[in-house]
Amino acid sequence: MKNLEAYKKHAGNEKIHSRILNELYQQIPDNVAVIDRNFNIVDANNNFEDHFGKWQNKKCYAVYKKLDEPCDNCPTKDVFNKGTPVICDAIGVDKIGKKTHYIAHSFPIKSKNGKEIEYAMELTRTVTETDRWQQEYHILFDRVPCFITVIGEDFRIVRANEAFRNNFGDMVGHHCFEVYKRRKTKCRNCPAEKTFKDGKVHHSQKTGIGKKGQNINYAVSTSALMRGNNSVAHVIEISKDITALKQLEHKVIESERLGAVGQTVAGLAHSIKNILMGLEGGKYIVSLGLAKDDKAMINQGWEMLERNFEKTTSLVKDFLSFSKGRLPELKMVNPGDLVNEIIDLYKDIAAQSGINLKSEIDDKIKSAPLDSAGIHTCLTNLVSNAIDACLMGEHKGNEVIIRVFEERGQLIFEVKDNGSGLDNEIKKKIFTTFFTTKGGGGTGLGLLTTRKIVQEHGGKIMVDSQKGKGSKFRIIFPRKRLMTLYKETKE
Amino acid sequence: MSSKKILIIDDEPDVNTYLEAVLKSNGYDTYSISEVENAMDKVKEIHPKLICLDIMMPKETGISFYSKLRKDKKFSKIPVIIISGVVESEKFNIHSFVSDKTIPAPEYYMEKPINVNKFIKKVKQLTN
Repeated sequence: MKNLEAYKKHAGNEKIHSRILNELYQQIPDNVAVIDRNFNIVDANNNFEDHFGKWQNKKCYAVYKKLDEPCDNCPTKDVFNKGTPVICDAIGVDKIGKKTHYIAHSFPIKSKNGKEIEYAMELTRTVTETDRWQQEYHILFDRVPCFITVIGEDFRIVRANEAFRNNFGDMVGHHCFEVYKRRKTKCRNCPAEKTFKDGKVHHSQKTGIGKKGQNINYAVSTSALMRGNNSVAHVIEISKDITALKQLEHKVIESERLGAVGQTVAGLAHSIKNILMGLEGGKYIVSLGLAKDDKAMINQGWEMLERNFEKTTSLVKDFLSFSKGRLPELKMVNPGDLVNEIIDLYKDIAAQSGINLKSEIDDKIKSAPLDSAGIHTCLTNLVSNAIDACLMGEHKGNEVIIRVFEERGQLIFEVKDNGSGLDNEIKKKIFTTFFTTKGGGGTGLGLLTTRKIVQEHGGKIMVDSQKGKGSKFRIIFPRKRLMTLYKETKE
Repeated sequence: MSSKKILIIDDEPDVNTYLEAVLKSNGYDTYSISEVENAMDKVKEIHPKLICLDIMMPKETGISFYSKLRKDKKFSKIPVIIISGVVESEKFNIHSFVSDKTIPAPEYYMEKPINVNKFIKKVKQLTN
């Protein structure tokens, strides 16, 4: 008390008062400037100079904003005109030329007689950092590709971000279980409830219902917002939308299940059932034709019967050839001769279909140890596929070229066509058992058998194909492997 | 009997011919397609009373089309008979192919080759 009395006594003394004011003027954490009616800065504190640079003999607009003329919305002008304090938000330029965001408080300083306004005092506080943080926080909260909600102790949503509002609706104030899951009571194993209890982070995977009634799968993490006394005030739920991932997972499972059908005995049964269906169909249509005495119908049914008998034969042949587990019978043969055999076999069929079938045989090609019958089967399959692809294609002037050549120690057979080509989906499936693009025309075993024979020779088969442009199949045999295999089989 | 539209989707042309013959001789209007990827457009075009659907097809499976159909607001109620050789009738369960449990089972499943009388009986039941 004694001190306060002493201070009051001193403060009454004008000199001390002025010292205090001066100290305040310099120490205040704001930038202070005194401006006259003509926008001249007549005084400023050290903070001001540190932030905006030299001010002596300069206009306020030149210092605050580095401009040549007064600003459009000048707070100083307002102070002089209205005689009342003005607060404004402005962007200026600091002494190193960097943009600075500040809030200015301007107020009038009257002349000694108290009648007119002599100066305007301007206190500016830069808000650049805080403002940026706030903006960053808002952007992060709203734009992050997750659903974020802040939940109160009563399980009501206090705040929600943009992603959440877009998917679940603007539901602040509602219970979280109502909004996420359209439930009337709390969910079982609620991660938010656990966090409220122990203050720890909890994770869970849930399925909710969006505002359009759509299912939304999400992975959620709950974190605690603590009070000063270490109790949990709010829980923040951050959820990642995993709906697309779940759908993809389902699709993979589905396609794998169907893929498995193609690779097992079930696949063979499936092929047989389809043929039986065709035979039953043929029989039905022939009977119907006979009953109606309709010759065209009888013919249609008969053709169906023939086609499906033919398919039975092909299936059995292909299946037998596929199931033969044996080492190839390698003999030194001229690869060019094998190609010529295939040309002889298919030239008539190709010509009848308007397809130009030709061969390109490298003159210098040497003999190679190959299983002639096996390679014959491979080339037959590839050429017959190529002809079918030409027939399925839409353009005219089709050709199928069989080439045989050497490249980097490898013997390569190539069958190229400009037929219908294969799209990416089909390319993935062509070496799968019983896969056929030919509807009723194929058994789906041709390429599989080809691959098997090629692999038995230590080689590989590759396909390069473009939908609508044609396909190129290559059978590649490394010479060294062929020779190793040849020596082994001779021993 | 008033004529009713039935859509047949199978990549085997002979199956389409067969089912068309059976259905036509029983007074139905039939439409068949071999490319399942065009099936949804066809449904929108003809508004069928019933769909006969194969499962194993090259570019898209019948199951994938079936899921799309059942999720389509306008056409989800069209009855579907799945006709396939994939599994035996008594073992067929749509959810061994589709993980989405909200997709309902088809109205009927028939194993290939079909029993014509049973097939027609079911078609009549589903289109009345």
